[in-house]
Amino acid sequence: MSTADSATIRRKSLKKTITDSRAIQLIILLIGVVILWSLISAIIERPDRYLPSPMTTLFSSVDLLKKGVLLSFYADTLNRLVIGSVIGIALGIPFGLLLGLNRNIADMFYPLMNFFQSVSGIAIFPIIVIWFGNSNTTVMIVILYTSFFPIAFNVLSGVRSVPMRYISAARTLGASRFQIIKDVLLPGAMPSVAIGSRLSIGFAWRAVIAGEMLAGQAGLGNMIFAGQELDNTAQILLGMMLIGLTWIMLDHFLLRPLESDTIERWGLVQR
Amino acid sequence: MTTITEFSVAIQRRFGRQRLRKFILGMIPFIVLIFVWHLNSIFVWLDPVEIPPIADVWGAIFWLQSDCPGVIAAIEGHGDCILTNHVSSSILRVILAMVVGVPLGIGFGILAGMNRVVSAYLEPIGVFMNSVSGIAWIPLAVVWFGVGWETTLFIMLNTIFWLLFFNTMMGVRAVPKVLIQGVQTLGGTRLDAILQVYLPGAMTSIITGLRMSMAFGWRALIAAEMIGGDSGLGFMIFVSSSEFKTEEVFLGIILISIIFLATDRWLLVPLEKWTIERWGLVWKPT
Repeated sequence: MSTADSATIRRKSLKKTITDSRAIQLIILLIGVVILWSLISAIIERPDRYLPSPMTTLFSSVDLLKKGVLLSFYADTLNRLVIGSVIGIALGIPFGLLLGLNRNIADMFYPLMNFFQSVSGIAIFPIIVIWFGNSNTTVMIVILYTSFFPIAFNVLSGVRSVPMRYISAARTLGASRFQIIKDVLLPGAMPSVAIGSRLSIGFAWRAVIAGEMLAGQAGLGNMIFAGQELDNTAQILLGMMLIGLTWIMLDHFLLRPLESDTIERWGLVQR
Repeated sequence: MTTITEFSVAIQRRFGRQRLRKFILGMIPFIVLIFVWHLNSIFVWLDPVEIPPIADVWGAIFWLQSDCPGVIAAIEGHGDCILTNHVSSSILRVILAMVVGVPLGIGFGILAGMNRVVSAYLEPIGVFMNSVSGIAWIPLAVVWFGVGWETTLFIMLNTIFWLLFFNTMMGVRAVPKVLIQGVQTLGGTRLDAILQVYLPGAMTSIITGLRMSMAFGWRALIAAEMIGGDSGLGFMIFVSSSEFKTEEVFLGIILISIIFLATDRWLLVPLEKWTIERWGLVWKPT
């Protein structure tokens, strides 16, 4: 009797782990999606053109890997993302700080920044092309432009959210202007810097893909665009999956831990 | 002198001193920018191909509309009213995508949010679909639908749907179980629970999703019109840029941002404010 009981309990707990564990759920989901995908591609006419089966997509990656282009495309795209967003963030932080320090300057430039932020990086692309041609510079400028504004706005609001009495306290104890910036304002704005960086890099990622597509520079964006022109749908699907997976990885393993650590370390959580 | 002082006092009373100060300070960079732009067209530091004179950008409106027979023809979409046709086709696409995408996104979001098992399975899909940004879908959409309005509509719908779906699901999941049980104890049906509890409870999150989907969707739409469209503002600036008609590009970009700013400031922000006041807890100005 007791053995039967323990067996049912074990079975129940096993069932619970299966339905509750996220990893197992993810695997079930993946298998389901792959089955659905292959079913659809088996049913429709001309699957090569409209929706190649998962296997065909995978094999196309082998083909691209053999030629050595897949890795170089990937490296190009990541390279652009890192350089563009690092420069954008490096420019945006001091700018946001400057705006946050002085109320008059902030009131002066806020509407201008708001206007330019709403002109998305993709929309200014045609002008940049006229100025610099279909070159790598064009893509970099578009990335820089898109990654600059989210971080600048976030640093501005972060600096503003530092309570005035901290600044007064530091000043009473004889801190210089520079010390106030370094020891009070920057640490106080740190959580916003982290949130803004994540936003900036997210926008930059979209801009990289769009810029590469439009300017025809080698990279993942251009890979899917070329796939459309060469009628190679498997290549498009492969590129899309790589784009999605890369962003999830980047977000989940790099940006989100960074954000939560910063908030934990410097956050003035007083709500 | 006294009349001027009285006038300024009256203006300050009418609009508020701080708002007036902010407005005037905010105008300064714009005025400086326009002044420098104008100086450039006088002294020609940069080629007119690179920076067109302001008069040309203004003139491009009339140049593009030059063959248009009249206002009524422009509203009807007469073939020669180039500018208004591009503007209206972009805006119509946004409206169409909103009309189809918003109910679908909210509906599926509520369905997914109500069941924890289902939402656990659908959440990774939502994360993935939001990560594959709208722009990356363009080549596949062109293969599926060809160049034209179907592609642009698909891109816009795709962006809107997943953002709204995800936000609604998160909002519904955040509704405390106790409230649902309360409704059920009082004899409420499933529909009551959805209409009275889930929907208002998730409303703040839905509106945030709406604002996000408008911001991302508008960008994606412009990109889609550039690559896979045959009308709309994105198409107009892309074609004008390849023909080196910079004044049309400038005009198009200014229109794009004005349309976006206007919808965001006068439609979505008030909506957000109102919902959060009505159903939410605190409104934090962004």
